[in-house]
Amino acid sequence: MRIKSPNKRTLAGYIFLLPAVLFYSLFFGFPVIFSFIVSTRRWNMLVPLSRARVVGFSHYEYLLNNELFMRALFNTLTYSLITVSVSLTIALIFAVLINGAKFSVLWRFIYFAPVVTPQVAIGTIWGYLYRPNNGLLNSFLKLFGIKPVYWLTDPDVALFSIMLTAIWSGIGGSMLILTAGLRNIPQDYYDAAKIDGAGPFKQFWYITVPLLKPTLLFLTATGMIGAWQVFDLPFIMGRNAPAKSVMTVSWYVYETAFQSLRMGRASAGAFLLFCVIFSVTLLVLWTFRRGGIEGYE
Amino acid sequence: MNKNKKAKVRILLEFIRYSIIVFGAFWMILPFFWLFSASLMTPEELLSDVPKWLPAKPQWNNYLEVLKRIPLLMYYKNSFIVAITVTLIVVFTSSFSGYSFAKLRFPGRKIMFRFVLSTMMFPVFIFLIPVYYLMKLFGWLDNYLSLIVPFVVSGYGIFLMRQFIMTIPDELLDSARIDGASEFRIYISIILPLLKPALATLGILTFIGQWNSFLWPLIVTTSSQHLMTLPVGISRLSLAFSTTETQHLILTALVYQVIPMVVVFLYLQRYYIRGFVLSGFGNI
Repeated sequence: MRIKSPNKRTLAGYIFLLPAVLFYSLFFGFPVIFSFIVSTRRWNMLVPLSRARVVGFSHYEYLLNNELFMRALFNTLTYSLITVSVSLTIALIFAVLINGAKFSVLWRFIYFAPVVTPQVAIGTIWGYLYRPNNGLLNSFLKLFGIKPVYWLTDPDVALFSIMLTAIWSGIGGSMLILTAGLRNIPQDYYDAAKIDGAGPFKQFWYITVPLLKPTLLFLTATGMIGAWQVFDLPFIMGRNAPAKSVMTVSWYVYETAFQSLRMGRASAGAFLLFCVIFSVTLLVLWTFRRGGIEGYE
Repeated sequence: MNKNKKAKVRILLEFIRYSIIVFGAFWMILPFFWLFSASLMTPEELLSDVPKWLPAKPQWNNYLEVLKRIPLLMYYKNSFIVAITVTLIVVFTSSFSGYSFAKLRFPGRKIMFRFVLSTMMFPVFIFLIPVYYLMKLFGWLDNYLSLIVPFVVSGYGIFLMRQFIMTIPDELLDSARIDGASEFRIYISIILPLLKPALATLGILTFIGQWNSFLWPLIVTTSSQHLMTLPVGISRLSLAFSTTETQHLILTALVYQVIPMVVVFLYLQRYYIRGFVLSGFGNI
């Protein structure tokens, strides 16, 4: 009897995992292998894969020498670095300001509204605000005597405009999680600091920021993983940008696969994207760990 | 004297604090406010050279006009069916696996959990082509199944549930085991009831994610338009209202799609924050 019960629990452990295991085999294991095989073939999905021509790693070679793909890669790098860092910084500032403020529930609700709004809708609304001749933003600028900006049609500005919208829409989500983190910091720490004469800025820098590091790590890592896959906003807002100046990796993969039906090249692009995301995540974890943060386990 | 000065500094700081909060809130609300206002404008007002803040005379008729022109109710129905089904199944599968990872001991547990975490690092773009191919193979492309089944297990959900379940004391489970309860029985009558706030959090997160999801529905529904969800519908608005006389209706249609989510969230926000605090996000 004594020997039997641990065995039972072992068996139960596997049974409880069964749905997940089945799912991951079909929708993770198979796709990853299949996708890798496709990336070494020339295939349009219309004929059986077995009849597709084997091309080795030539798709990868092509992409790394392709100007448009490299531009997409560079755009996405810029996008992810700037949106994640700026949005997180602003979110941190507002989380601290709003924590314990009057009407904090109202403020939090207002800041969070963009998070629950479909990105596609956000892109469309901002597309109107960004209109060069009769958009709201340019009319603001006019008040200060600034000439109209071609927010979404000037190739040098378009990506920046999309990032601005992305930052705007991302603040609330990070803010909410940071608020949860703030509530876990014991009030005693602040009381002690006050007795020692530390002002609000010192308290922020020496108590709040260090103690929020795990939360910041989490948000940076997940933010980066998400930002590298950004699709909705550039796809909706960048339609009129000239010469594909806002092309992102995800858009490139989507277009190559589902518009040009070049499944092989698209899969190779997706794998290159995976390599980037994998390295970036490791880098984020490593940087924070050097700053004295353990991973989560 | 000194005290007086200190009080003044504090008032000044508080003033700056609230100014910043209000300034930020202004920018957060502005696009929504403008959207609502513009949804009631005539096409001339929307396209006038001097941007208008408010319509001269609110065109409430826009809201009826939109319903006549696009199958908005169908988009709603599709989005709702997909989001609610995925949410219900994800809540179940996540708590199931989360329980196993948090409280049951078996060989390979650690490595399997690491595997689940690492799946979150894979970009969706690796899966688009193979999963589309699978859907085609199964004959699910003109069926809700293609929008639902690929999302019924979530690595993030499993992780979240494990974090919650780990905080439930082992003694509670052990005493049930001594009473002869099976693991499944424990899951149903001890874990699930204690997990309610966490399930609400995960449920809301999943629902919002599904409701707003764009890329996959876009790919799947190009060949079967009767399955189009709201975001795919929105992305096609500029096609549906391409002429100048109907251009303003794009914004009216957007209000239909934005408002329900914001209102629902207004109601659920408390639950949402509580869930995050309980999950111990501060000290993962």
